[in-house]
Amino acid sequence: MTATHAPTRIGDLWHQRMQTLKEYEVVRDGNIFGAGFSNSVVFSSEYEQARQQLDHLLSSYQNRSFEKVFSGKEISNDCGTCFSLTTTHPIHPPAFDLTYYRNTIIRDLTLVRGIGRETEKQLRARGYQTLYDLAGHPKYRSHVQPVIDCTSREDSYDIIDLVGKRHAKSHPLVLGAAGLHEHEDYVFLDIETMGLFSRPIILFGIGVMKNRALDVHQYLLSDIDEEQAALYETISHLSGGRKALVTFNGKAFDLPYINDRLGYYGMNIPAITRIPHFDVLHFSRRRWRNQFPSLRLTALEREILHIYREDDIPGQMVPEFYETYLRTGNCGPLVPIVEHNRQDILSLALLFFHLMGESYGC
Amino acid sequence: MAVEDVLRLLTTNPVYRDRVVHTHILESETPHYGTLDTSLPDSITSYLDQHGIRLYTHQCDAINRIRAGKNVILTTPTASGKTLAFNIPVFTALNSDPDARALYLYPTKALSNDQLGTLEEMAHYTGISAKPAIYDGDTTQSRRAAIRDNSRIIISNPYEIHHVLSWHMKWRLLFANLRYIVIDEAHRYRGVFGSHIAMLIRRLSRLCLHYGSRPQFILSTATLANPVEFSCRLTGHQFELVDGNGSPHGRKHFVLYNPFYDGVGERSAHEETKDLLVSCVKNDLQTLCFTGSRKMAELVTLWAREDARRSSAQLADAICAYRAGYLPEDRRAIEAHLKDGAMKGVVSTNALELGIDIGSLDAVIISGYPGTMMSTWQQAGRAGRKGDVSLALLVAQANPLDQYFMNHPEQFFSRSNEHAIVDTENPYILSGHLLCAAAELPLREDKDRVFFGDSFPQLLPELASTDLVRKTARGWVYSGRGRAAELVSLGGIPGETFRIMCHGKMLETMDRAQAYREAHNGAILLHQGEMFLVKEMDLETHTVRVTEADVDYYTQPLKEVNLTVIEMIETREVNGVKCAFGVVEVTEQYTGYKIKRGDTILGIEPLTLPPLTFRTKAFWLIPSSDTEQNVLKRDLDFAGGLHGAEHALISLMPLHVMCDRWDIGGLSSAAYGENREPVIFVYDGYEGGIGLAEKAYEILNDLFATAHALVRDCRCDEGCPSCIYSPKCGNDNQPLDKIATVLILNDLCKEPEKSDSAGYVDAGGAVLS
Repeated sequence: MTATHAPTRIGDLWHQRMQTLKEYEVVRDGNIFGAGFSNSVVFSSEYEQARQQLDHLLSSYQNRSFEKVFSGKEISNDCGTCFSLTTTHPIHPPAFDLTYYRNTIIRDLTLVRGIGRETEKQLRARGYQTLYDLAGHPKYRSHVQPVIDCTSREDSYDIIDLVGKRHAKSHPLVLGAAGLHEHEDYVFLDIETMGLFSRPIILFGIGVMKNRALDVHQYLLSDIDEEQAALYETISHLSGGRKALVTFNGKAFDLPYINDRLGYYGMNIPAITRIPHFDVLHFSRRRWRNQFPSLRLTALEREILHIYREDDIPGQMVPEFYETYLRTGNCGPLVPIVEHNRQDILSLALLFFHLMGESYGC
Repeated sequence: MAVEDVLRLLTTNPVYRDRVVHTHILESETPHYGTLDTSLPDSITSYLDQHGIRLYTHQCDAINRIRAGKNVILTTPTASGKTLAFNIPVFTALNSDPDARALYLYPTKALSNDQLGTLEEMAHYTGISAKPAIYDGDTTQSRRAAIRDNSRIIISNPYEIHHVLSWHMKWRLLFANLRYIVIDEAHRYRGVFGSHIAMLIRRLSRLCLHYGSRPQFILSTATLANPVEFSCRLTGHQFELVDGNGSPHGRKHFVLYNPFYDGVGERSAHEETKDLLVSCVKNDLQTLCFTGSRKMAELVTLWAREDARRSSAQLADAICAYRAGYLPEDRRAIEAHLKDGAMKGVVSTNALELGIDIGSLDAVIISGYPGTMMSTWQQAGRAGRKGDVSLALLVAQANPLDQYFMNHPEQFFSRSNEHAIVDTENPYILSGHLLCAAAELPLREDKDRVFFGDSFPQLLPELASTDLVRKTARGWVYSGRGRAAELVSLGGIPGETFRIMCHGKMLETMDRAQAYREAHNGAILLHQGEMFLVKEMDLETHTVRVTEADVDYYTQPLKEVNLTVIEMIETREVNGVKCAFGVVEVTEQYTGYKIKRGDTILGIEPLTLPPLTFRTKAFWLIPSSDTEQNVLKRDLDFAGGLHGAEHALISLMPLHVMCDRWDIGGLSSAAYGENREPVIFVYDGYEGGIGLAEKAYEILNDLFATAHALVRDCRCDEGCPSCIYSPKCGNDNQPLDKIATVLILNDLCKEPEKSDSAGYVDAGGAVLS
């Protein structure tokens, strides 16, 4: 049985249907209810501005080639080729008081199973000040040893796990585990995608510290075909040494998304599982909850870092900008995406160091 | 014995006697027990022993075949122990392989819940760590990860699976270790819905293969004519059929009751239903009565209570209606009163045939054929408990299918003629699932043919042209902006949807074709048996505004149909008649509507709606010139004969191909195309076609024979709603000529007397261009 010749309408039909799906909602300005950290709301002024910007970009970048607009280079790896952009930004991380962190952790008796706040108070009254003191305690002796082993090994992954199980995952002792790393270990990561899951990642942003400056590497897809090579590059940054991942909402979004795409392509790279991961959103929530109306990265960078972006586009509108590029071949819409992502990485690093400095600075 | 009393009444009462056109006795059966090829694990054996279960022949047959690695479809009746037949091999596999998993798919939540209880009990008893759990829209976020990782039997529904597949990374353990996919109530997955499910199952199988498993399929369905073909179409795999029922049942008297036995019908089928219900109840039979609509259920109840009140108030109170809108406590009260015997008669709609939890009763009255033999038997299956004698009554309406059965009871009690249809080639359905598949894993033109057919790669450039997919070195990657699974709804053919709004509340949605047909300005729209008047159809916003209406008239749209043959795929000759199957383009133009009360036309109003054009599949036939001469020389209306034959063929399509007559359209002409040949077209009323005309084309002999018998045996003189009148005719049943119809259909059914094989003229070629 032969199939019906596909009427030319099928592509249009699905395209029209797709236009009716919106992954965000445009709300009137000032309506901050629910906008706190919701990915599904764009203010109408932002929306209008972005639409105008898109038209402007399309006209001003007409007939300008990808290579001319972006001063990067094409790189090749086992998975193909992709386009890489690198910029350097001076940055001054605070000094970290490791002794203070170590002292805090060994004085936290509640890290031991079976000890709550009340018990800790009673133990202290009876002279048990540190985990080491408990090593001789008849009841807690057996539970304390693994805790001492873990803290003295100073493996940040295990410490995060330990602290996270006994306290909230946003506890300062979790953040402090980042102090066990060299600055060069941090990998700041932020991705831009075609939407919320099951679609291509179109830009991978990676920040790494080098010579007291932040190098931002961006892997931008000039076509979807390059996604695997860009995934491969990104994963290379995360493997080896004592790398520590720093993201903003990466536990819920960036990391599972990347693992999802690795699975999609059936790539023979092990999915990222065992890497210490510091999600700055969680620490920010704990630190600034109820202080600011919004805990989005762009809101925090204004409030804390006093950075005011120009010509930025709302992250939720990245998919339609990229789609416009794919459809027209005009790379104008990519310019603000690249800028947006670069600023996200930079702000992420600054915010992370700010929180570290507040808690453990010296 | 009460059943015997009612049977005696039916044969002696002068009113009933005439209307009882047939009584069929299904004799009681004793149980037939089977044997297993290999013994079961001790834990399962002791589970069966403790429950006093001995396995019937069909259960053993199914278990043996499943354990031998075959895909199995079970078609034994409800309450024959199907569930156990697939739970045993599943638990056996889970017992021997600690990693093995199974997925159960159910069409409704109620059925999922029932099954969960059964599986939990079995897991508890046998100590086999199955950890059965339901994973659907109601599953809380906090339980999801644990179910994915730990539950070895997952119960879900197609809607959930549709959205879950793109998260396959999280489901690795399931997909890598999936041994069985159990699809219960699989007959629900037919027609448009079934075609979607077929694609969904292919996407599921594709992911299993990716993670290294090749699950076996176990399906159960109600009785179908084509279980093996159906299951193969639905899943893409070969199946073995298990259908011999070894479970016991009591004697059942099945009565066909025809209020229109004389071709007139003094009283409506509903009034007759009421009489029968009261007679049953008076004779102390607990009776369940099924009606076509909610409103009829209420009316029959009301009349029956009034009638019964003349005997006693107590009897009147023992009759009630049971419908979907009732509160759970009201339902439970009815169920409880049925159990303690206080309630004698319950009237329900067809829609509740499965959702109703009231066990088995003494008698079932089915008021109007419910559309499929499958449903009829499921409803009749409600009568008969613990091997007791029972009664089932089918009360016919004045329409061709009902009347066909009344005149041909042997057809009704023979094996099923109904083919369940699944079409895997509708390009609109297929393309939607290709988008989903491309979002799950890159689509490979070579490797994915096993799932999506040889011609699927042709659709990809089309999807790429609007940036929905992108070709890469690894295959075609989904690159649309929205979630692919959200683009595709499993219910229909993608297209524009019209919302039917009543006072700001949405009643239902319709596609454009249905909206033009049923919800044009001024139309009386039926929604779940209730009447609504269409106030306004807004073509811009795709909104139809309606208000409740209580009127005694109805409306009937008038339309003109044009049809062009696009491609002739196959031709064949049936009894010397040229028949063809192919792709056609249909243009329907609604021109107005009639306002009618009964058969009286109260008025005709014009309509201005843009024409609807769609491509679909059709079969068509070209009656021989001998037939034409035969009709003309008797001074009969040839066009009226063709038109009548078209209606008869369409009305009996549902007898052979499971569908609604509204799913099919037709066109006949005494002089069609350039060659001015007579022709009858029958096409699927859906963009792209859904396999109905295609199946009918395979069984044209049967369709012709039944259509001929229908019209020939109808007692009317000039055609009536029981034979060649169509409730959906766009030409208001003009012209029609019953005698010419019989002549034409007669010629379709028998070999021509002299073989005038002057060669087959390429009919499609003739009408093409």
